[in-house]
Amino acid sequence: MRKVWAVVRREFVERIRSRWFWVMALLGPLFFAAVFLLPTLLARGGGVTRIVVVDGTTGPVGARITQLLDGSRMFRAERIAAGDAVLDSLAVEVGKKRLSGFLIVTDAAVDSGRAEYRGSNVTGLATIGALERTIGEVVTAVRLERAGVDPRVVARARIPVHLETKKITGGKTTGENAAQSFSLAYFMGIILYTAILLYGINVMSSVLEEKTTRIVEVLVSSLRPFQLMLGKVLGVGAVSVFQFLIWGASARILLAWRPAFLGASGMGEAEQVFQVPHVGATTAALFIIYFLGGFFLYSAMFAAVGAMSSSEQEARQAQQPVAWLLVLSFVSMFGMLNDPSSAFAVTLSLVPFSAPIAMPVRWAAGTLPAYEIALSLTILAAAIVGITWIAARIYRVGMLMTGKRPTLKELVRWVRTS
Amino acid sequence: MTTSAHTPTPILVLDRVTKRFAGHTAVDGLSLSVSPGAIYGLLGPNGAGKTTTIRMIMDIIEPDEGTVRLFGERGGGRAHSARIGYLPEERGLYRKMRVLDVIVFLAEMKGVERRAARAKATRWLEQLGLEQWRLRRIDELSKGMQQKVQFISTILHEPELVILDEPFAGLDPVNTRVLKDAVLELTRRGVTVLFSTHIMVQSDMVCDELCIIARGRRLVDGALADIKRTRGGQHLIVGFDGGTGAAGAAGAAGAAAEVFADKRVVKKADDYGRYAELELEPGADPQQILQRLVASGARLSRFELQEPSLNKIFIDLVGPEAARAEVRPDA
Repeated sequence: MRKVWAVVRREFVERIRSRWFWVMALLGPLFFAAVFLLPTLLARGGGVTRIVVVDGTTGPVGARITQLLDGSRMFRAERIAAGDAVLDSLAVEVGKKRLSGFLIVTDAAVDSGRAEYRGSNVTGLATIGALERTIGEVVTAVRLERAGVDPRVVARARIPVHLETKKITGGKTTGENAAQSFSLAYFMGIILYTAILLYGINVMSSVLEEKTTRIVEVLVSSLRPFQLMLGKVLGVGAVSVFQFLIWGASARILLAWRPAFLGASGMGEAEQVFQVPHVGATTAALFIIYFLGGFFLYSAMFAAVGAMSSSEQEARQAQQPVAWLLVLSFVSMFGMLNDPSSAFAVTLSLVPFSAPIAMPVRWAAGTLPAYEIALSLTILAAAIVGITWIAARIYRVGMLMTGKRPTLKELVRWVRTS
Repeated sequence: MTTSAHTPTPILVLDRVTKRFAGHTAVDGLSLSVSPGAIYGLLGPNGAGKTTTIRMIMDIIEPDEGTVRLFGERGGGRAHSARIGYLPEERGLYRKMRVLDVIVFLAEMKGVERRAARAKATRWLEQLGLEQWRLRRIDELSKGMQQKVQFISTILHEPELVILDEPFAGLDPVNTRVLKDAVLELTRRGVTVLFSTHIMVQSDMVCDELCIIARGRRLVDGALADIKRTRGGQHLIVGFDGGTGAAGAAGAAGAAAEVFADKRVVKKADDYGRYAELELEPGADPQQILQRLVASGARLSRFELQEPSLNKIFIDLVGPEAARAEVRPDA
């Protein structure tokens, strides 16, 4: 209908014109870039860690550890012979931030595998891990050599194993590894949650604006309240899809330029905590379908909330139950990532309020039987129809009500009688 | 149903329309009819049910009982939205939208094609001296300018019926006059105007027909002239020319005393000899009184019928006691 189309266009054009939209369109990719790069940068502590090896060994172990550490890109290491005053003065150095910490190595390292590290960065898991690996390597080599093994054999035995993981989708091995699947699921969850909440609240404030300015009276005398609500939800939905298109395009550009970014920050592909996954057409389609499903479901509820409130403050309070539904679905994503096929995860992907986040997350993290997707989509579609029916009734009555917010009992009466 | 003889094909008819909200009846069995081309006033104190009535006419809410007929067809305003212009009581516009876009959007809601709406909106903005504001946002406009924009949106689609809810509320005297002129201009073009108000002064000047309601019920309705003629409180001023001197005057007044004493037509008479003020009984015909005075031999220098102001009728009707009873002018 032409009037509904005019409402859709108004919502779309006004939003695209707003500064807010373009800020989001530009900041979005920057935000994603930060999420991709920051963990890797943070894990590396942002640069080189300066440490001192306090060598209390009688053999070459201390020197070899120092040499190996200093040779890595992560550390600058210096060897100091152990002594009584050394530890205290080093502690002062650490306090003055000239040193990150110091490693105390004695013969116990080789004998019983014990060493000590004191520093200001003991929570840096990457640093501690690297120290442990280095010490372990040297200690193993020394022990083997002491047992009479040829140092060349030892050197060859030290070659580490890299376990390659690949995800199986639909009986076929894909190019994705576990890290990629995890980051894909993780990002989908974040984006779905943020976008549904953001655009749902957009619908709510749009409804509220028409209510508080009383424009709604003029509109409702020209088209049915349901048509108005429909046009609004479709218009805001179109804006969100447009936003995704922009984000998709800029993500492609970012990815294409990624080697350059990574080169500039001095890190290799393998070092990244988050791996960039390959997003296939099926995944993208599933994402959009569930996003739109979730958006329609939640924006109907947000529209009802906007209609029953008389001011921004009131709406902010009244929207909380709706927002909590979404927050719960988002938080439970982390449980699902551990075991995407658990009963918990299956239940969440059938409940319509959590399915829009749960289903794409599970799809990305593991494999999903087709019947489960079909079932969850059917339930979601039924819920959209049901919730929209209820929301439209609340909307119709609420849009013309002023004064105090309705109680739950009054809401039930609105739904029944309107 | 109210069907006046001089309005054969009413543009709007309400027939025993009732709307109840939780706990109270906002509109109670209200019937009225609006003639084409009339300026119709829906008058009543605050909370009388004026806005609820208008909302039922506009299809914004549905009546619990009774029917609304517009342009001879049953049903509220939504089906006829292209033929009706509506300005709600608390007026607002999309604050962040550009002036031109708001007008075009609201015109589209009334079924005007987009390009035609743009052209008309531009013409109207020029006419009202707002052309340099057309690409500005609404919230950059002064209140007076916003009211002009609202008025443009109400009439851009050239409606046959314009419904204004409390159009004069909150307007300064200059803008009140501008709006009043605009309404009169509309009726000159044959547009029917229905407006609600609790301020009687403007209604007295512009209304052709009216309906006074209180507590959701009709107290009086019909043509303004009929109401003024039939509602109580008609005042007659009579002056006598009885030759020179007080005696002559007294003689002339004496001849009229019989007429003044007729309780069927005169409710109250203040006789000052040369001059008398009469309050007539409802329904009394001043023309008859004039004939009887002339027949009595009194020489008249002055015979002036003073119409009661609408304000007085309104206060008489809506006073705590009168508000309970439904009074019909033809009763």
